[in-house]
This record gives sequence, C-alpha cells and structure tokens, in this order.
Amino acid sequence: MADAALFVTDLALGLLLGCVFAVIAHGLNLIWGVAKVVNVAHGEFIMLGAYGAYFFNVWFGFNPLLSVPIDAAIGLGVGVIFYFFFLFRELRGKESMGPQSEMVTLVATFGLALVLINLAQALWTGNNVGIPWSPGVVQIGSVQLPLGGLYVAITSVAIIGLSHVFLSKTYLGNAIRAYSQDIPATQLVGINPTSTAAIGTALGFCITMAGGALLTVWLPTGIYPAMGNLYAPISFVIVVLGGPGKMWGSLVGGLTLGVIIDVGQLFVGGSIALATAIGFLILIPVLLFRPEGILR
Amino acid sequence: MKLPAFRSFGATLWGIGLFLVVLGGTAPWIPAFLLTVLIQLLIFATLAYSMNLITGLTGYVSFGHVVFMAFGGYALAFGVGTLNLHPVAGVAFGAVVGLALALGIGLVTLRFRGVYFAIATLVVAVAALYIVLEIKELGDGQGIYLSLRFEPLSWFYTIWVILAIEVVLTYWITHGRIGYGIRSIKSDEDAAKTVGINAARVKLFLFALSGLFAGGAGGVYYWTLSGVFPYQAFDLIFSLQMLAMIVIGGMGTLLGPLIGAVAVYIPSYIFLTVLSGFQFIIIGIVVIVIALFVPEGIVGSLRKYIPELRGVLE
Amino acid sequence: MTRVLEVSDVHKYFGGVRAVQGVSLTVREGQVVGLIGPNGSGKSTLLNLIAGVEKPTKGAITLDGQRIDRWPAHRIVGQGIAKTHQIPKPFLAMTCRENVAVAVMFGNHKQRQSAKAFDEAGRVLALVGLERKADMMSSNLTVQERKRLEFARVLGTGARILLLDEIFAGLSPEELRAAIALFTKLQRETGFGAVVVEHVMRAVLTLSERVVVIEEGMKIAEGTANEVVEDPAVIEAYLGVEAARATP
Repeated sequence: MADAALFVTDLALGLLLGCVFAVIAHGLNLIWGVAKVVNVAHGEFIMLGAYGAYFFNVWFGFNPLLSVPIDAAIGLGVGVIFYFFFLFRELRGKESMGPQSEMVTLVATFGLALVLINLAQALWTGNNVGIPWSPGVVQIGSVQLPLGGLYVAITSVAIIGLSHVFLSKTYLGNAIRAYSQDIPATQLVGINPTSTAAIGTALGFCITMAGGALLTVWLPTGIYPAMGNLYAPISFVIVVLGGPGKMWGSLVGGLTLGVIIDVGQLFVGGSIALATAIGFLILIPVLLFRPEGILR
Repeated sequence: MKLPAFRSFGATLWGIGLFLVVLGGTAPWIPAFLLTVLIQLLIFATLAYSMNLITGLTGYVSFGHVVFMAFGGYALAFGVGTLNLHPVAGVAFGAVVGLALALGIGLVTLRFRGVYFAIATLVVAVAALYIVLEIKELGDGQGIYLSLRFEPLSWFYTIWVILAIEVVLTYWITHGRIGYGIRSIKSDEDAAKTVGINAARVKLFLFALSGLFAGGAGGVYYWTLSGVFPYQAFDLIFSLQMLAMIVIGGMGTLLGPLIGAVAVYIPSYIFLTVLSGFQFIIIGIVVIVIALFVPEGIVGSLRKYIPELRGVLE
Repeated sequence: MTRVLEVSDVHKYFGGVRAVQGVSLTVREGQVVGLIGPNGSGKSTLLNLIAGVEKPTKGAITLDGQRIDRWPAHRIVGQGIAKTHQIPKPFLAMTCRENVAVAVMFGNHKQRQSAKAFDEAGRVLALVGLERKADMMSSNLTVQERKRLEFARVLGTGARILLLDEIFAGLSPEELRAAIALFTKLQRETGFGAVVVEHVMRAVLTLSERVVVIEEGMKIAEGTANEVVEDPAVIEAYLGVEAARATP
C-alpha cells in the first residue's frame, strides 16, 4: 500500500512539474512551428526569465507569479529584437528554410547562448540563487502537494490555453498559423510575412520568459547562469515528443516527461539521475518510430 | 584534361606538416610553461579536426561531441587507475572507446537530419552525464582522481602524433573517391543516394573517425589534468568550443580547424588569467557574426575573395 | 544476359492516401516502356518505389527474379537501375563534370580511379550535349540544362534500366524533336531499358514499345502506343482530360 501511495504522489508531482516543463517548451515550440528555427539559446532565455523573477523579488518583493506578466512583456520585446537580428536575413523572401539557413541559425544561436551564459556569469556571478516563496501545502486524500507548484501548474495550463485561443480565434493568430504552414500562400492573401513571423517569434519568447519565472517556484536554489544547459534539452525533448508546431503537443510532451522523471525514479532504485537520463533518451525511439510526435 | 580546382598539389598539407615538424623537432627545448600551452593548443586542434570530420564535411551539426571527449577521459582514468595501463595505452583505449561510442550513437542519430540530428546528439550528451553519475566503476559521480606524473614531453608527443594522423587522414579522405561522395552528401543527400552513394555508411564512417580522435584528445586532456570529473567533463562548453573553432576557421577545409583552434584557444588562454568567462563572450560574438555574415569562415573567405589562393589554400 | 525488372501488384499508401494501388509492369533491357496518366495519378511515386527512394506498402519488385523492394536506393543503383529527379537535383557546389564523375565512381561502374571517372564523365556530357558546360558550376545551369545533367548522371551510373521522370517536359517542338532523336540514338547504341514517365504524349508514343496508363494509382490500360490511344478507358480518363484542357 505504501508503494501505491508513493506512486500516486510521484504521479501527481510529475504532472505538476510536467505543466511547467510544458510551458517552457511551448515557447520553443511556437518559434519552431512559426519560424521553422530551433533556437539553441532557448535555455538562456529561460534563465533570463528566471533571473527576472529573482530580481523582481529582491527589488520589489514580488512573488514569482507576479513576475510572470512582467517577464512576458520583456519577452515580447526581446523576441522582436531576436527575430530581426537572427532570423530576418535567413527567412526573408524564402518559402522554406534550406539546410544552409538551418545550419546558420543553429550556429548563430549557439553563439548567442555562449554570450548570454557568460554575460550572466560576469554580471551575477556563477552562484546559485533562489526565491524564498512557499505558500504551503495542500492535502488531497493521501497526497500532499505543494501549493506553489499547483498555482504554477494552473498558470501554465492557462498560458498554453490562452495561446491556443489567440492562435485559433484572432485574426493575427490565424495569420501566424497560416504563415507557419505556407509562406507564399500567406503573401497571396495579403498578410505581411515579416511582421507575422516577427510577432510569432515574439510570442514564443514571451511564453519562454514567463515560463522561466514560473520555473523558479520549483527551484528553491536552482537559478544560475548555465541552468539553460538542462532546461533547453528538456524543452527540445518535449517539443519532439509532442510534435513540433502542434500547440497541444507541448502540454502532452511536458506531462509525459514530468511523469517519466518523477515516476521513473521508482523503477530505477530512486535515482533521479537515471530517471532524467531515461526521460531524455526517450527522444530517440520517438524520433525513430513516430517522427511527427506522439500526438496524431 | 584540365584537372578540377579541388585537386591541388597539397600545399596546405605540406604547410601544416612543416608546422608540426618544426614544433615536434623543437619541443624538447621549449620551456615547460610554453610547452603546456602548446599541448593544450594541439588538443584543441585535434578536437577541432574531429568536429570538422562530421560537421565540416557533411554539414551535420553535432552538439554532443563532448561525449566522446569525456568518455576518452574516463577510459584513460579507468585504464590507468584500475587496469594499470601506461597512460599512452590509456589514451589509445580512450580513442577506441570514442570510436565504439560514435559507432553506436551514430548508427541511431545519423538517421535524423538537420536540427533533429543536432538535438539528438545534444540529448545523448546530457543523458550520458546522468548515466555516468550512477556508475560505480567510473567514480560513482565523484569522478576519478589519478596521481600521474608531470611529463609534458610525453603529453606533447602523444597529442602530436594523434593530430598528425588526423590531418593526414582528413586530407586522404577528402581527396579520394570518397571525398566526392562526401561532397555529394553535403550538397544533396537524397540525390547522392540516387547516384549510388551509400550515404548512411559514409556518414557513419566519418562520425566513427570523429569519435576516435575526440576520444584520443580527451584521453590526453585528462592525462594532463590527472583525473576526470563528471560535471566538468560533460560540460557542453567543449562541444560548443569545437563548433566555434571550425565555424571561425572554415568548415570542411583542411587548414580551417587549425586556424580556428589558434583563434579560439590563444584568446582563451590570455583572458583566462584576466577575467574568467570573458573570453567566451567574445568567442560567442565572433561566432554569431561569422555564422550570419561570413559563413565560409576565415579559410573559406580567403579562398572566395582571393582567387590566387584557391590552388594553394584548402 | 538481359535484365528484367518486374513490378507486381505494388501498393503505396501515405497515411490515408493511396498513391499506388496494385500496379504491375515489366521492363527488359533494351525496351522502353511509357508510363502515362493524369497529374497525381501516382507515376512519380511508382518510379520512386522502383528506385528504392520509397518502400512499397505491399507487393513485390524484382530484378532478374530477385526481390529488390526492401533494398536501399544506393544498392539498387549498384544493380543498374537509376532514376532522374522530376525537379532536377544537381550537386550545386560541383561542376557538371564532377556531378557526372560522382555517378561514374559510385554507380554501377564503381570506377575507383578518379582520372578515369573524369574521362568517362566528359564522354557522357558530350553525349547529352553539355560538353561546353562541363567545367561550369552546375548551379549556373538553366532548368533545361539541369534536366540534361540529370540524364547524364543517370547514364554515368552505367544503369541498364533507366527511370526517367519527365525529362522532356517544357521543351519547344523543335527541341523536343531533337531530344527524342538523341534519346533514340543513345538507346539503340547502348541498349538500355527505360521507364519513361511523361506528360508529353508525343514523346511517349514515339519512344515507347509499350505504354502503361495509370489513373488514381491503378493501371487502366497497357499495350502498344496505338492500342492505348484507342482504348476507351484511356480516352475517358486521360485524353479526355487533356483534350478538354487543350480546347478552352
């Protein structure tokens, strides 16, 4: 019986963690789906979002949830700058990304990652920091869940849901979706491809940085300049699991990975390291057998 | 018949060879502190040529090369610490482990193209760290500390031999029949298959060679450090530096990786004493600028804008 | 020994789309088979299946009685079957001569000496009339020249059965006449077999010993050129459409 209770607790924690994983991956998914670009520096923007939440806490005493909208707004601006600096030249006037452009953006954004990590290290030192915020726990049946994690999960699902509503119900959202599917056709119906792609990219950064703020609730002392080296691969795995460009894919992929890592520990002798490794390596069979992701 | 421009008389190879011979001949008289700098430079160059074999020649961007280097180091540490091998044999063991790993990882990941390959290699590298943390024989997450002697000349000649073999192999591969196959794959992999090129085998061959040399370089690197520790060994910064070196020097060229190694390592060495981490900001900016504006790198640009150099420089 | 390529009851489904549904055909060395059908009828897919670029969902493809339908594309080229691309795919970073030399080195010939491969490439380029562009980068070629390069590459592999995907498309009447004459001459001299996928009816009817007509992935007629054009099903499905297009 004790095992069953442990299983339920780990499952619940895995689902909560999966929600916040989903939201950080969702930002990447949007950029990947719209601009057809994989941002190697994705993890560094999560890191910036997390530091944003940390400094808003230090300066103004904001809790991480309050920092989410501020981070999101900053993310919008950062996304537009990123688009025009890194993607505009490669995407302009093209119907799709060739292998050459793909390589250029991979390498250029990796250079950006290098700059951001070390800039953060120079400015804020390499020491771990964290936000002391814990609103307590809630007892549901036999399961004890952190209230902070629950708030974060609700906010995460709300962000993904809102982005879905935006993309499917508004004019701008539909333009972005059209752009992601067929660039020449988009131009034919009178949509400006550049501004559409820029807004789509900005939206991706907005969600990424908001996700960075949400993530801090789970990281009592886990904010540091190179944290992206862990969360970028997590995001990549989630997007591939769910299927790039599929908006609910981030949630499905995130929940899957969260559960694999938390429940997986029970099966590998409680080793979180091995469970994490399994969570990462699950990417390989998915790519081999379901390259379009686990969602249809 | 006019020979294609690609077939030069190998001036670049002779140039690199002369550079290596001069280094090798004068090494015993070079002061120890300078020699250690040169050893690091040669290790970095070996890593750059290793990355060049797969990413430079085929265009498959690997973010996971640190795995081969790290396991090369672990193989050395295990071979020397547990099996009582001579360090040079440990380096050879590291190279073999790198080769075996590359064969295994390549067999699966080389099926994926473009970003999917890059992501798959990245994920394998991250997962490898978490697996090594759990292996008792590999230090149980604490790393392996060796108490090896300070013997710069042995380090120097070991990496010197590895690099020389690697450069000659690179030349030999790119200048034969298989070189045309590789260029076809880089140009259009689907079309390459339809003229009869076994793209999967060519890529696996290159990836395996790449793993071999990265493993060997890792062995020497951790021999000089006299130990290997998981979080440092699997730091993705190594993969990124390898990539930076060939991007700056010129992907797929013969001289590019060496130029890239000098361009990346020497500033790193100078700035290391001034402000740690600062060098990576500069390297990062240089990589961004080169990737976006001069994707041919230093050697590629020289060839492009100075036609006279095309027959000599490659 | 003359080679025989047999396609029997081959199917290919892409998800729910049934691109090819049970097509059979036979080609021998020395024989030209025309493959016609309306747009999207599965012609190119069928060629891809034979060339090993795609794997059939069901059915068998054999060469001299040996199953080749699970073989990778490069192995099929090594057995003497090579295909042109409907949209030419030259190796853009290489000269025309290098493009063909690669095919000579890795195709059916497996010429291991580069110098001999380059000589052979020059000879093949002359055959298709690209000798003056031999040392030009292939990225500088026009679309029609790229199609010729595709053809030269296939010849360079030393293939005995050629799979030709719309190599005559987009030519003017004079160019077409010249191209057909050239093709016939080469075919007589070297005696290769070919499956010719074409929209240009005239080319197919002149060249082909036999013609196979497919519509919506199914074979609706097979016979000599004259038999096929008089087949009511073909007139209905193919010529009817073409005729309706021709007279606005």
